[in-house]
Amino acid sequence: MGTTVSVTRTSAFDEGGIRDAVFRALDLIGFEPPGPVETVAIKPNLRFYWDYSTGETTDPRVVASVVDYVRERWNARARIAVVEADASAMRTRHAFPMLHFDRLAAEKQIELVNLSDGETCEREVTVGRRKFTFPLPRLLFDTDLFINCPKFKVGPYASGNALHITCSLKNLFGCIAKPRKVGWHPQINEVIVGLSKLIPPHLNVVDGIVALGQRPVRLGLVLAGVDPVAVDSVVARIMRYRPSSVKQIRLAQKEGVGSSHNITVVGEDVKAMSKLFPSRSPLAFKLAWTGQLSMLRLYAKLSGDAVPPLLD
Amino acid sequence: MTINVGIIGFGKMGKLHLRVCRYMKDAKVVAVADPSPRALRAAQKEGVRALYDDYHDLLRGPDVDAVIITLPNFMHLEATLAAVTAGKHVFVEKPLAMTSADCERIDDAAGRQDVKLMVGHNYRFFDATRKLKAGYDSGAIGDVVLSTFELVHGPLAPSLESAPVPEWYFEREKVGMWLLDLGYHVVDLFRWLFGEAEVVYTRLDNHYGFPYEDNAIVVLQSQAGPKGVLHVGYFAKLVFPAFDFRVILHGTAGCLSTDQFVPRSLRLHAAKEGIANMLRRMTARRIKPLSYTYFYSSYVEEQRHFFDCLRNGKEPAVGARDAFGTIRLIEDVYRCRDGVQSVPAMAS
Repeated sequence: MGTTVSVTRTSAFDEGGIRDAVFRALDLIGFEPPGPVETVAIKPNLRFYWDYSTGETTDPRVVASVVDYVRERWNARARIAVVEADASAMRTRHAFPMLHFDRLAAEKQIELVNLSDGETCEREVTVGRRKFTFPLPRLLFDTDLFINCPKFKVGPYASGNALHITCSLKNLFGCIAKPRKVGWHPQINEVIVGLSKLIPPHLNVVDGIVALGQRPVRLGLVLAGVDPVAVDSVVARIMRYRPSSVKQIRLAQKEGVGSSHNITVVGEDVKAMSKLFPSRSPLAFKLAWTGQLSMLRLYAKLSGDAVPPLLD
Repeated sequence: MTINVGIIGFGKMGKLHLRVCRYMKDAKVVAVADPSPRALRAAQKEGVRALYDDYHDLLRGPDVDAVIITLPNFMHLEATLAAVTAGKHVFVEKPLAMTSADCERIDDAAGRQDVKLMVGHNYRFFDATRKLKAGYDSGAIGDVVLSTFELVHGPLAPSLESAPVPEWYFEREKVGMWLLDLGYHVVDLFRWLFGEAEVVYTRLDNHYGFPYEDNAIVVLQSQAGPKGVLHVGYFAKLVFPAFDFRVILHGTAGCLSTDQFVPRSLRLHAAKEGIANMLRRMTARRIKPLSYTYFYSSYVEEQRHFFDCLRNGKEPAVGARDAFGTIRLIEDVYRCRDGVQSVPAMAS
C-alpha cells in the first residue's frame, strides 16, 4: 500500500497565501488524527537565530497556519504547543522571541515549550547494529498529535557528514533534550533514523516557502504527508537527488520507518518544481568544507601562523 | 626588554589577542585571568602558565607590565580603572566604557598614572580604511560632501566551535546602547576621517525580536563639512570569510571606496597570502600573521602599534579621549531617537 504526499504552491508570500497553501496541502492528503485531539505539539526547525528568509528556519506563518488548521478541522479548543530544544549554539529562550514565535504564541493563544527544560525520559533504540540512548521530552510521548514542521533545505556539514537534505527526518534531531548534541554528529544518519523510530510524528508539514539550496530561494511550496520517509523522498526529488542516494532515506526505509516507494504525489508537478530549485552537489559541498579545514590546519602547522578562534 | 602581558577575560577576543601577541616582537603573554575554569583550561592549553580566576590577583603580580582587557562591555570600566591604578599599561577592547562620563573617569585615572592606554578601534587598522584615509587626506578626491558607512554583520551567527552566543549579549544593560557594539566602528570611522560631528537623524529598528535594536540608519554632519549616512545591522547570516563592510566617500574631485582596496575574492586572497607566508617561512623570513584572513590582520596591526608605543614612549593613536568622543556621539544618536520613530534632530 502506498502513501500520499501533497505538494502545494503559493505565489503570494503573505499570510493569506501561505495559509491557503498549508490548508490545501493538508486537505489533499486527507489526514485524520488517530484519536481525539486535546493536545498538540508542533516542532518547527529553528537553527541558530537566523530567520525564515535565510531558508534556515521554519516560517512562523506556516506554523500559524497549521495551528489554524488544527483548530478549524479537529478541535477549536485544543491545547497547542510549539516545541523546540536548545542546541549547541542556540538557546530556545532567545530563539523564540528573536524569530517572532512569541508574537505567534500571543496571537494564537498557544504555548512555547523549551524541550530542554521539561521532564525527560531515557529511551534506547537500535539502528542497524548500533544502539543509542537519547534523553527525550516526556511531552512528545504524551501529546495526542505530534506535528513535524521542518524546513525544506539542504543539509549542513556535521562532523564529516555532509547531509543531502534536512527535512522531516532530520528535524527530529532537535527533539533531543540535551543541548549539546554535537557528539551525535558523527552518526547523524543513524541518530535521526533512531529518533524517527522512537518519536514518529503523526504528520509532517514542510515549509518550502523559502527553501535553501545553494542559496535561499522563494519556492512558495508546502508539502504534507504522514510518512516522513515519503515526504523526504519527494523533497529529495525536488532538490534533484535520487531518494536512494540520500543516506537517511535509505536507512530509514531499511529500518521500517517508512517507504520511498509507491508514493502518490498530489498537487504540483515535482519535475517542474525541481527546475526551480538551486541544487547543491553534496560531494562538492563536503570537499569544500573538509578541503578548507584541512588546508587551514596544514597551513597553520607549516607556516606557524595563527588560526582565529572563530575557525577553531 | 620583553613586555610581559596579562589578558583579562579569555573568551573569543581574549584568545584572539593571545594568538596575535605571539607575533609581537618583545611581548609575551605570561598570565590570563578569567572566572571560568573552562576558559582557564583553554588558556593553559595555549601555553599560559599563570592563571587567575580573579583579575585583581593578576594585577597584583609584579611580572605583568601591560594588560589586554577583553571582558564583556559592561566590565570594561572597573577592570580598566583597576589596571591603571595598579600601574599597568592597558589595551582595552572597545567600548572603553558604557558612557562618555565613565570614559572621562578612566581618562583622568590614566592621566594620574604614568601608563599608556589604548582602545581597540581595529577598523582604523584595516588596510582598506588606512588606504581610504590616505587617499582622502591627500586631497585626491577633493572635498568630501557625502559619504556612506555600511557595516552589517550577524553576531548571532555561530563560530565553528558550536558554542552559544554569550548570555550577556542578550542583556541590554550589559551590552549598553547597541551602537556601542558593532555600530561603534562606523561612528568612530566617521570621526576619524572628518573630526567632531553632530547627529542629524536617527532611526533605530528591530528586524528580529532582539532585546535591543538590530539595525540603524544614522545621519551625521561633521563640523568640517562632510555628511555621512551610516547603515548598521546585526541581522545577516554571514559565514566567515564573508564580510559586509564598506565606506564610500563622494568628493568634489572624485570618489573613493574601501571596496577598491579589499580583495575581490577573500578566498583567493587567503590562498595567495597563505602561499606567500609559506614561502616566507621556507626562506626564514618573518610571516605576515593572519594576513590570509584579511580583516583579522587589523588586530595584528593595532597590537603592533600598542607595543611600539610602549617601547618608544609614544602616545597610542586611540586613547581614552578618542573613545570618549565616539561614545559621546553615540549617546547623541540615542538622544535623537524616539523609540523606532524617525526624529530629525536639527531644526532647519
